[in-house]
Amino acid sequence: MVATTALPAPVAGRPRTVLVGTMFASGASMMVYFGLLAVYAHRRAEASFSGQGWFPEGTVELGPPGFIFWTLLLSVFTVQWAVQAIKNGDRTNAMWAMAITALFGAAVFNQLWFIINDIGYALADGEAEFFFFVINGTFVVFLILAVVFLALTMLRALFGSYGPRQSDGIAAAAMFWNTVVAMWSITWYVIYITK
Amino acid sequence: MTMTESPPAPAVADTPAAAPSAAHGLYDWISTTDHKRIGRMWILVAMVLLVAFAILGTFVGLERAEPATTSFFGGENSYFQMWTLYRLGMVLLVVMPLFVGLATLVVPMQVGSTNIAFPRAALLAVWSFLLGAGITIVSVLAGGGWGALDGVTGDEADAIALTLVGTGMVIVALLIAAVCIATTVVSLRTPGMNLMRVPLFAWSMLVASAVWLLTLPVAIANLILMYVDLRGGPLTLGDPEASGAIYAQIAWLVEQPQIYAFAIPVLGVIGSVVPAYAKTRQADHTLMVVMVGLFGFVAIGGWSQPYFFDSTEDVVFVAFGLLAVVPVLGVLGGSLFTLFRGEKPTGGPPAHLHGALAAAVLLFGGVASGAVRVIAPLDLAGTSAITGILNLVVFSAVAAALTGVWFWSPKISGKLVASEHGRIAILALLTGATLLGAADVVAGFYDAPDLLLFETGSDVVDPLLTASVAGGFIIAGGMVYALGGFLASFRSSNPAAGADPWDGHSLEWNTSSPPPVANFTEPPARVVSEAPLLDSAEADNDGEDA
Repeated sequence: MVATTALPAPVAGRPRTVLVGTMFASGASMMVYFGLLAVYAHRRAEASFSGQGWFPEGTVELGPPGFIFWTLLLSVFTVQWAVQAIKNGDRTNAMWAMAITALFGAAVFNQLWFIINDIGYALADGEAEFFFFVINGTFVVFLILAVVFLALTMLRALFGSYGPRQSDGIAAAAMFWNTVVAMWSITWYVIYITK
Repeated sequence: MTMTESPPAPAVADTPAAAPSAAHGLYDWISTTDHKRIGRMWILVAMVLLVAFAILGTFVGLERAEPATTSFFGGENSYFQMWTLYRLGMVLLVVMPLFVGLATLVVPMQVGSTNIAFPRAALLAVWSFLLGAGITIVSVLAGGGWGALDGVTGDEADAIALTLVGTGMVIVALLIAAVCIATTVVSLRTPGMNLMRVPLFAWSMLVASAVWLLTLPVAIANLILMYVDLRGGPLTLGDPEASGAIYAQIAWLVEQPQIYAFAIPVLGVIGSVVPAYAKTRQADHTLMVVMVGLFGFVAIGGWSQPYFFDSTEDVVFVAFGLLAVVPVLGVLGGSLFTLFRGEKPTGGPPAHLHGALAAAVLLFGGVASGAVRVIAPLDLAGTSAITGILNLVVFSAVAAALTGVWFWSPKISGKLVASEHGRIAILALLTGATLLGAADVVAGFYDAPDLLLFETGSDVVDPLLTASVAGGFIIAGGMVYALGGFLASFRSSNPAAGADPWDGHSLEWNTSSPPPVANFTEPPARVVSEAPLLDSAEADNDGEDA
């Protein structure tokens, strides 16, 4: 007769190193951004309180920043598609998903470039213009970091480093990507919608 | 009976951190991924900077005591640059690297890991720090710094911009190191070691790293704004007409409550040293863990900068200032209870126990002064009490870090630092820091300004400033002596320390001194409490009794 003794439960795995490290790094990146936005919001409130204007009338449009938001929202789905695909052992789909996500990143960069050129501000024009460039510029830096992280992960996936039992790297890249999407979501509201 | 199933293979995530390979020679120091070597580099650099900044502080104090007749630095602006360099440098270039170095070296062993998480990032951190620290110091000496008293002119702007870049690099390097340390504690703990069983030093470093990761990025945001403003902005933030406007935007780093964030590991060092000396368990380890966490919470200070905060009567500011006393008292009370209920070893207490007690006294002095400072009617805002609190907290951190270096010296160098040497250095530090800090706190009650540029002519303040200078001299002498003792401990003629010379309780004492490349020759047994070696000793004793 075959025994049916239940095996002891496996030792609970620790949270994964790359994911945990990325979580800390993402949190710190978010705090840099929150720091900038908090100063921006404070200075804008002070200007408003003292009756001064902020952005020159009619210069900040809602269209292009909205396109960026929706593009990035789509990229959340594609980057999670990559995570799910690699967990299912479907490397081809994972590669496609990451490539499309990176393409969305390039599109966002292009749209931001358009906004910055179209708006016609100079850095020294005033406080509002100064903050506009600093915050959007900082976002571009984080966007580039996220694309580079994704590209490196893609390369490693290409050489077989990731699979169903080891998907941490792709999940970590997705986590950082989603952090960058969250950054723009807040920027979109604080800078463009509420002006 | 036949088993028909095989146990599931461990998840990939359970794989221990990759062990470093043995390495020798200069190239290997540059490229090493051994956390012990990286930790040694941090500690050595920080100790050299500690001596340099202790001497700088003495000169700043001398000029401050006699501003009319003394001019070491060649004018008010240069004095302001050195005054700011001392304050920011003691925190960013001395205290944080000392704790980061100790943690990089000790924490992986304490949690039973073969290496630190992301060892290449940890190596990048130490080299980035060196570069950033070099840029910062050189740019300040070249006329930069964090602003100028008479406004930023064109010539100074380049050097100031360079200082901002250097400061940013230093902070980023420290944050990378903090990510490595925090991830090690969260992800690489040995089986059975849940977060409540993590040794107190490792726990305090996890809390400190988390607080640093939450708050120091806000300083990076400040630096970005100032840099861009300086390089082509409308100069509305770093107003050139305003005295020291740039420094004012990051002064929150060295003031309450943020200054406490750099002293969180002090509680961890005390909580590691005292039970080992008393040869007993830490009294109520869970409460200690909670107290360290609470101290971390009240040390979150990114909000207390000029943009968001303009009143010292702010209820959160007052509450944090008063609340900071509670966790410090809690940890000190718990440690004293542990000390008195434990064994009383024969012979004098070792230097590290003196160091832990000195750190405790200084930290309590710092948070108690901080609690007094937030009482609005006393009107201590902008007075020298700010510098007094800074010095008390910073030198409590220095005392704790040196205590850690002596306590864990077998794991750092394989040798013990001579106890007499440590006692003298700690005595100098305690005396000097008490004079330095307490004199400034008391002078604050007599309205001595924080940045003193003129003779006060006060019969009370002037002697206090002289006492403060004397404190600075004593500290500088003590630190030179401490560095000498530390370096002498590496001499090959010194006897080897042995694996566990202090009867320590945590896993770092379960390996040879210095530890092998992968820290442990065999994986540690499953941990069931915060003091696994004490558990083993008690089990052995029970076996013998039976």
